[in-house]
Amino acid sequence: MRNSQFAIPLVYNAVEIMTPFLLAAIGGLFTELSGMLNIALEGLILTGAFFSVVFAAATGSLFLGILLGVLCSMLLALLFGAITIYLRANVFITGLATNLFASGFTIVLAFQMFHTKGNIQFPNIPRLPSLSVPDFLQRIPFVGDILFGHNIIVYITWIIVVIATVVIYRTPFGMRLRGTGMNEQTIVSLGLSPRRYQLSGILISGLTCGLAGAMLTIQLAAFVPEISSGRGWIALVVIYLGNRTPVGIFIASFIFGLASSFSNYAQGAMKVPVDFILALPYLITVVAMIVFAIWRHARTSK
Amino acid sequence: MKGKKSLGGFFASFTGLALTLILSFGLVVVLILFLSKTPGATIYAFFIGPFTNKYYFGNMLNVAVPLVFTGLGMAVAFKSSVFNLGGEGQTYAGGLAVTVVCLALPVANGILGGLLAIAAAAVLSGTIAGLSGYFKMKWNADEMISSFLVSSALMLIVNYFITGPLDDPNNNMLASLPLAKQYGMLGLFPPSKLNISAFFAIAGAVIVFLFMNRSHVGYEMRMCGLNREFARYGGINVSKYLVLPMILSGALHGIGGGLMVLGTYHVLYEGFSFGMGWNGIAVALIAKNNPLGVLPAALLFAYLDAGAKSAMLNGDVTFEIASIAQSFIFYFVTAQALYGLAHKRRRVA
Repeated sequence: MRNSQFAIPLVYNAVEIMTPFLLAAIGGLFTELSGMLNIALEGLILTGAFFSVVFAAATGSLFLGILLGVLCSMLLALLFGAITIYLRANVFITGLATNLFASGFTIVLAFQMFHTKGNIQFPNIPRLPSLSVPDFLQRIPFVGDILFGHNIIVYITWIIVVIATVVIYRTPFGMRLRGTGMNEQTIVSLGLSPRRYQLSGILISGLTCGLAGAMLTIQLAAFVPEISSGRGWIALVVIYLGNRTPVGIFIASFIFGLASSFSNYAQGAMKVPVDFILALPYLITVVAMIVFAIWRHARTSK
Repeated sequence: MKGKKSLGGFFASFTGLALTLILSFGLVVVLILFLSKTPGATIYAFFIGPFTNKYYFGNMLNVAVPLVFTGLGMAVAFKSSVFNLGGEGQTYAGGLAVTVVCLALPVANGILGGLLAIAAAAVLSGTIAGLSGYFKMKWNADEMISSFLVSSALMLIVNYFITGPLDDPNNNMLASLPLAKQYGMLGLFPPSKLNISAFFAIAGAVIVFLFMNRSHVGYEMRMCGLNREFARYGGINVSKYLVLPMILSGALHGIGGGLMVLGTYHVLYEGFSFGMGWNGIAVALIAKNNPLGVLPAALLFAYLDAGAKSAMLNGDVTFEIASIAQSFIFYFVTAQALYGLAHKRRRVA
C-alpha cells in the first residue's frame, strides 16, 4: 500500500498529470525555437489520442497502435506545416484550422465507425505496462514513492526531454533550428533552407503530441470527444513559462501538474464548488506567470 | 453566395478568396461523397438548404450577429498588434452579466434594463480583458497567454453560476432562471430567431470602422499596430495602447455574448457561446481586420454553420462537418501563395 500521507500521492499524481503537458511542450519547443508559433498542439494531441486507441483496438497491439497514432498526428502536422510554410499562410490561423479539423474529423470518423458522438469504450486493448524497479530502489523514502511505478510513457517522456536537450544545444541540427528562429538570413547564408528546419520543428511537435494523446486514451481504454481538453494550450503556456528551455519547461509543467493534482485532491476533500476547483490550475498558472513576469521585470530594470 | 460584389470590395484579393472558397467547398463535396450514403441530397441540403425556407435563413443571419461582435473584437486587437486569446471566456461572461442584471432589476422598463444589461456585459468583459493588457504594460507579461488562461478559468466560474446561484430548479437543463419577457428583443423574421440585435451588429461594425479609421485614438491605435517603436518616436503614448485595445476587444466580445442571451435564448445555458471566440479570430482574419469586412466574413461562417445543420437534419452526416469545412477555409484563406501576392510573410508571435 502507498503511504497515506498527503504529500506523496499529491506529487505522485502530479508526475503523472504533467506528462502529456511536458511531451506536448517539448515538441512545441522545437517549433517555437524555429521561429513559428505552434497553436496546433491541441489538435495534434487529439489526433494522436483518437488514432492510437482505435489502432490499438484494431491491431490488438499497444506498440502498433501508438506507432500508428503518432504517425497520424505527424501526418496532420505535415499538412499544417506544408500549408503554413509552402503556401505561405498565417501560422496562427492554420494552427486554429488544425485544431478545428482535428476536433471535427475525430467526431465525424467516430460517428461513422461507432455510430456515436459520445464516449467510446475499448475494454479489450492491452494495458500500458508500468516500470517495475528492484525493491531497494522502490523503498527509498519519498523519492521511491514518487518516481517509480508510473506507466512506461512517463519514463519515455523523461528520455525524450534529455534527448531534446542534447539535440537543441549540442547538435548542428539544433543550432541551425535555433538559428532559423533568431535570424532566417544566417541560415540562408549557410546555403541551407530555413523552411526545412521549420517543417522539422512542426513534425517533431506532431510526434510528441501524438504520444501525449496516446497516453490519455490508452490509459483510459476509451476515447472521449475533445479529450485533449485544452492541454495543447496549456503546453503552449508551459513553453513560455519555461522561458523556452527544456529545463524550464520541465519545471513549469511540474508546477501545472502539481496544481492539477491539488485540484483533484481538493474536489474530494473540500466543500468548494467543483467549478472553482477546476478553474484552480488555470488561476495558479496565470498567477505563476505574472509573478515570474514581475520578477523578470524587477531584475532587468535594475 | 449572396452579395459577391460587396465581398470583393472588402477583401484584398477577390480571386484569391474565390479560389479559397471553391477549393474549400470542393473538399466539402468530396468529404460528403465519402461519408454520405445519399450524397446528392446531403450536398443539396448543405449548400442550398439554408436558403430554402424563412426559418433556416433567419437563423443563419442570427448566428452571424455574435460572430460580427467577436470578429470586431479580434479585429480591433489585431489592428493594434495586441493578441486577445480570451474571446471564448469574455463572450461567455457577457452572457452572465446580462443574465445577472436582468434577473436583479425590477421588471419595469425593458428597453432601459436591456441597455443597462448590455452595458454591464461590456464593462465586465472589457475589464477582464483589460487586466491582461495591464499586466503586459506593467510587467511585460504576455497578454496572449494570460488572456487565454483567465478566459479558461472564467468559463468554469460562469458554469458555477449557471448550476449554482442562478440555477432554475424547475427544469433539468443546465440553465439559469429565464429572463423576464420584457427584456426580449423584437423578432424580425418569424418563425426564425432573428431579432433586432442584427441592427446592433451592423451599427457596431460601422461605429468600429469609424472609430478605427476616422478618429484620433483609432489612428494612434493603428500606428501602434503597424510599428510600436515608430509610434513611440511619433510621440504616441504606446503603453496606453496595450490596455485600450484589450478593453475594447473584451467589451465587444461581452456585447456579443450578451446579445445572444438577450436576443436569442432569453436564458443563460451552459456552453451557449462555445466556439464564438475562436470563430471570431477567423472572422477577423478573413476580413483582414477591416471592421466592415467583418460583416460578410461573419455571414460566411454563419452560412457554413447553417449548411451543416441543414445537412444533419436532411442528410445523414453529423454537424461536425461544419468544423471541417471551416478548417479548410482557415487553411487556405491566408495562404498567400494562392493569392499570388508578393507580400512579406506576416508572422504572429
